[in-house]
Order: sequence, then C-alpha cells, then structure tokens
Amino acid sequence: MSVPTTPRIRDRWRTWRGTVGALLLITLAAVLMVGLTAPRPGGYLDAEGTGLGGTHALVELLADQGVRVEQVRTLEEAREIATPDSLVVLARPEYLIDGDVLDRIDDLPGDLLLIEPLDAMLPELAPGASMGSYEPVRSRAPECGLREAVQAGTARMGGSFYQLTGPDARCYGGALIRYRPGGRTTTIVGSGDFMTNGKLAEDGNAALAMNLVGAKPRVTWFAPRIPLGDEPPSTLEELLPEQVDWLIWSLIVAVGLLAVAQGRRLGPVVAEKLPVVVRAAETAEGRGRLYRARRARDRAAHALRAACLDRVVPRLGLSPAAEPDAIVAAIAVRVGQDAGQIRSTLYGPAPEDDARLVALARRLDLIERQVRDS
Amino acid sequence: MALTRRAGLIALLGAVAVVLAPRPGLAFGLLLGLLAVLIGVDLALAGSVRALRFQRQGENALRLGDSAEVTLLVENPGSRRVRGRVRDAWAPSVRATPREQPLDVPPGERRRLVFRLSPLRRGDHRAVAVTVRAFGPLGIAARQGSHLAPWSVRVLPPFLSRRHLPSRLARLRELDGRHPALVRGQGTEFDSLREYVVGDDVRSIDWRATARRQDVVVRTWRPERDRRVLIVLDTGRTSAGRVGVDPTSGDPAGWPRLDWSMDAALLLAALAAKAGDRVDFLAHDRTVRAWVSGASRTETLPALVNAMAPLEAELVEADAPGMVAAVLTRARRRCLVVLLTDLNAAALEEGLLPVLPQLSARHQVLVAAVADPRVAELAAGRDSAEQVYDAAAAEKLRGDRRRITARLRRHGVEVVDALPEDAAPALADAYLALKAAGRL
Repeated sequence: MSVPTTPRIRDRWRTWRGTVGALLLITLAAVLMVGLTAPRPGGYLDAEGTGLGGTHALVELLADQGVRVEQVRTLEEAREIATPDSLVVLARPEYLIDGDVLDRIDDLPGDLLLIEPLDAMLPELAPGASMGSYEPVRSRAPECGLREAVQAGTARMGGSFYQLTGPDARCYGGALIRYRPGGRTTTIVGSGDFMTNGKLAEDGNAALAMNLVGAKPRVTWFAPRIPLGDEPPSTLEELLPEQVDWLIWSLIVAVGLLAVAQGRRLGPVVAEKLPVVVRAAETAEGRGRLYRARRARDRAAHALRAACLDRVVPRLGLSPAAEPDAIVAAIAVRVGQDAGQIRSTLYGPAPEDDARLVALARRLDLIERQVRDS
Repeated sequence: MALTRRAGLIALLGAVAVVLAPRPGLAFGLLLGLLAVLIGVDLALAGSVRALRFQRQGENALRLGDSAEVTLLVENPGSRRVRGRVRDAWAPSVRATPREQPLDVPPGERRRLVFRLSPLRRGDHRAVAVTVRAFGPLGIAARQGSHLAPWSVRVLPPFLSRRHLPSRLARLRELDGRHPALVRGQGTEFDSLREYVVGDDVRSIDWRATARRQDVVVRTWRPERDRRVLIVLDTGRTSAGRVGVDPTSGDPAGWPRLDWSMDAALLLAALAAKAGDRVDFLAHDRTVRAWVSGASRTETLPALVNAMAPLEAELVEADAPGMVAAVLTRARRRCLVVLLTDLNAAALEEGLLPVLPQLSARHQVLVAAVADPRVAELAAGRDSAEQVYDAAAAEKLRGDRRRITARLRRHGVEVVDALPEDAAPALADAYLALKAAGRL
C-alpha cells in the first residue's frame, strides 16, 4: 500500500513559518536601522545632507534658535519664499553661470550670503568686490572689527580671498568680507568648509556660521543641483512610450511563468551510491611510469631477465635453483649459439640506454622462442 | 503545484494585449488578475493526487543483464478524474523505462502502468517514489505530489559461466558410476562388484569374490560423495580491482574481480551440488559479509546467488586471520576450502601466509584468482622504450605472482590462476581433478 510523501500545504507552512518569520523580522530590523542611521544623500553644503559635507547640523542649530532655513533648488522657489527681511544663502554657485540667472538672483529681496562665489559672478552679485589670491583652509584669527567674526574668534577659513574697493569689513585676511552695495548687506566667504557637519564643532566655526546665517529669522538656502538656465535634456525613459514599460513587465511575468513551468521536476532527484572504479592494471601501469620517469634500466632489465629465466628454466629440465653457468650451458646446447652471448644477454650488466634496453628485451624474446621451439 | 507552458503562452498573448490597450497599466493589472484566476480555478478543479492509492506487482529478482517488468496499479478513490503524468523514480542505474507515462483515471477506477527495469548493477534496488502531476481541465496548472509505493528488486549475479556446466557435468559422469572408474584413488569409495570385461585393469580383480562366483569379478569404485566444499569469497580491497571487459555491458573499464570470482564460485557450486557434495559459502573481509550453510542440493544455487547479490567489494584490507578463524569455527569436518581472492604478493604475504598452516592442516585449500589480461598485454610490449618499461613492470608483477603461487603450493595449497574468461572453467576443472584424485 502506498503512502503519500508530499507534505500538505498547512504542514509545510508549519515547518517553514518559523524561518519565514525570522527572515521577515531580520529584514524589517535591517530596513529600520539603515533608514534611521544612514547619512541622507546630499552633496557639499546641502542643507539636508547628514554626511560630512552637508550642513544639516547648522540648520538644526538655527532651528533651535528660531531661525527657519528653507532649502530651494530652483530660482522660482527662491523667488516665492524670499522676503525683504530674509537672507538668501547661495550655497552652490558653480551651477549659476548664466548671466540671465545671475540677474534674477540679484533681483531677489533680502540680504545675500555668497559662499565661494566664482570670479565671473562677482560683478553682477557683488559689485566692487574682486577675487584675490587663493590660500589653503586653516584656522585663522578674525583680525577685523566685524562683530560676528570677533565674537566667534578663530575659525577654519581660507579658499579664495576677496578685495573691495570701497569701505568694508574684511576679516580672516580677506576670506570673509561684508559690505552694503546698493542698500543690501552682502557677505562673501571664500570657503564653506567651516559650516559643514564635519567641521562645525572645531574652533569658532559653529559660532561664526550661526552668526552669519542666523542674522535674519528666515533663510532661503539656495543650493541648485543642476546648472540653471538650460532646459534639462530628456532621458531615454521619457522618450519611450508608456506601453514599453508595461510590455517589459508583462514579458517578465511570461518568462517567469515559463521558467516555473519548465523548471518544475516530476519527482525527486534520485541519488545513488556509486561503486569504486579501480582498474586492477593501474599498479602495473604506475610502476611502469615510475621506471620510465627514473630511467630505471637496471630494474627493468632485471625484471625482464628474471621473467625470461622463470619461463625458460623449466623447459630445459633444470630446477629453478640451478646455477647460472648450468643454465647458460644448457641454453647454448639447445639453441646452438655462443654461450658468451647468451650469458651477456641473461646475466650481463644493465643496458646503458633505452635503445639497448629494447634490444635486450627482443634478444630475451628470441632466446625464449628458440628454447620453446627447439 | 506545477504550471504548464500554457500559462506562459497566455501571459505572452497578454503582453500583446497590453501593448495594444489604450491604458496599458490597467491592462497589465487585468492580465495579472486573469492569470491568477485561471491558475486558481485550474488547481481547484484538478483531481486530487494525495488521495491516489498505489499497488505494485511484478518480479522481485532478476539476473544482471536481464530486464524485469514492474506493474503499478493506480487507484483513484477521489471524486474527480485524475489526468496527468506519472513517474516511477528508481536509482539511475536501474534504468526504469519509460521515465514517465501518461495517466488518466476516472473517479473510482484503477489503471495499470507497466515499467520495465534493466538494471546495470547487482544488488538490491528500491523504488524511491511515485510522483503524479494531475492537470486541471484548462491544462494551465497541475497538482503534483509523491507517494511511497515500496518495492525492491534484487539483481542477482548473471552466472554467465553456466554455459560451461554441461561439459563439466559430462566429465563428472565419467568419474561417476555411469562410466565406471576402475582406478582406485585415495578416498574413493567401494561401489560394487561386476563381471570382468576385457580391458579392465587386472589389479582391480577381487580374487575372493572370484573364487566364490567361479567367474572373474572386479571391484568398481566411485568417487567419494557427500564431501564438503566451502567457498570463501574475499570481499576486501583486492576484489574491487577491475579486470577484463564487463561481459554484461561491454564496458572496457572491466568487471570487478569480485564479480568474476562470483561467476567461478557459482559454476563450482552448481557442479559440486550435482556431484553430491555439500556446498557452504562464506564472504569475508573484516567481518563476515555473508554465510550460507546447510542448503539442500537443489537449493544450493538459489541460496548462493541470493547471498551474493548484495555483496560489494569493500575498500578495506581483508583480515586473513579473521577469515581463517571464521572458516575453522564453521567447518568442523574436513572440507575443500576454495578461497577466491587475488594473488597479490604483498597482501597475501602479510595476511594469509602466516595463518595458512592452521587452515591447510585441517582442510584441503584451493586458492583461485583472476589474472589481469591487461598485464599480459603490457608484458608483450616491445615497440618502444616506454612499452619495454611497462613490460618490465608487468613482468615484475607476474614474477611476484609466480613466487607467491610457488610458496602457496609448498604449503600443500592448490592454486588456480586464470584469465577472467577462463577462471570459472579452470576452477571447475581443478575441482574435478581433486575429486578424481580422491583428495576431497
């Protein structure tokens, strides 16, 4: 009588539910941990970036002081939220090279904080300022009368140094300048390094950054990700019609179903204990290869001679213990050959090369045949 | 659960529909739903595989090289028709054909499926599982499940040497009374008195009976009967070596010495049973692997074949003292101990030779071994230096074999060393010679 061996679905579930539960738990925990602790993506001076180069720490500190920092990516957004009583921080000026865009930034109301502005944008945004030398970023003293800088003390400053033609506040040797062209307070810093998450805790960096950025209750953090002013190029995905996406999904489903249909085996794979396959002649062949590898002509010749004698001596009517002399004499009489030659064949020295070994083997065969046939 | 290719094809057609549809996202969702419904319905309507009941009929034993039929009875006690495919899974070397068969059982009925087994290996083979895949009415999805329907097939040694049996039986009859032997041998038994006919040996004339009958009367003798033969099969590592060509499959890798030895042992057992001797069988390496004793004369061969079927050479050095002890405890009366092993000089010198006197003191010992034709082939090579080196190695091996043979003979042991094809007849001849000489 037969017994079903495939488990019922509920039995199978009972067997596997522990494993499945554990896997789900592990996955959930991993997702949670990664989601909570992973640095949020964001480039250099990104207000939401929690990496070393981001400025999320500064934004949090300012929020505690009641300063609202809003990050915007486009000029339109910036225009929407900027008010005369706010500060516009221009964090990634390298994407703002279009003259038209610079004009419109200049039209934004409120004060302006330029971080690492390029030489080309200074005439538009900060008339009268020009770029000087470039110094490495290191701890520097303020050496000026600007309240914000004096209160902060030494800070990691450097990068581009700027000069001004008119009256000004020039701190850290020119890495920070502040003046009021056309009635708006414009601040330029040569390096944003001091306000990043990684450096904020050093020197007076935090104080300087909070003094500069937290001057107004609302801050518009303008950090564009792509060059503004040009139409972004359309990607391949946008050019393809919507059907292609769904066609690919349907094909994936079809191929998956076909794979399942083809891959399902009818019944188990049957394992079998395989027998040992050892050819009995392997020992002889192995020994032959050893003789060959070491050119063991002496042993080979000895084996061949002994085998020949084993077969010849009984035919001569001699006992196996007969003396070599007697054997040689008996063979010489039997086959009518020179006894000396037979002796050298049967008892001579080992052959000096392979050719002589082959010749010896053939001579032994000849003697054997002659004795047998005579 | 299993799917058919139809499910994939429906999905492919659906893909076309998705491309043509005005709202492809919705069409894709509908396609997924349709597939799920179709598969679910088909699974629900397929016949139950779990409820099926299986029974087997057929052969339990066959000779290696033959094939046997095993019948599978499938009964469907469920309420739905089971339509699908069946696979009866056996080990690959059993070669169950066909691999799978179609099945269609209406509810309450049974069907008979025949599978043919042509095993490649000796021994016991068990059925692993019967797997059924029952398709639903749409042919999209199927239920699949396995059942254990136990059955085992014993593959017996092929006993190829039985073709030598008639000629050896004729020789036996010559020895036996039907061709009266007038030669009195050692251990022969007195059979009867009969009248002298010209040609009889005058030495066999019974003068006392002649005087009484006033006619010349001779004594006849017959070979001894009711002797014991104990066949000892060495299943140690030396028996695993393959020699010759596998006669059942033609595999040039050869047949293990063990199988050649079994073949020879079976011929000897058949012959000895016909000759009226009792045959016992022992297989031994480190322990006793098989032991057959006290089988009646007609049962000897089946009992031996059955005991040999599952034996395999073990990769361990045979324990000769253990083997001798096993023989001595089992064979209390004098018997002919036929030891089927290999004349491996190293193994025999270390193992058998030290304990041989114990055995040969109480029993007549015959050692039978299968020689390797490949070694003879190697020994004849003269064409190049490489071949001569191989020939020297082969001659060295044969020399060792001759020396160990000579040493065994000095212990009063008979030795049969023959090529694979000749091993069985040579052993039978040696037995007949011993019997004729009355040395059993």
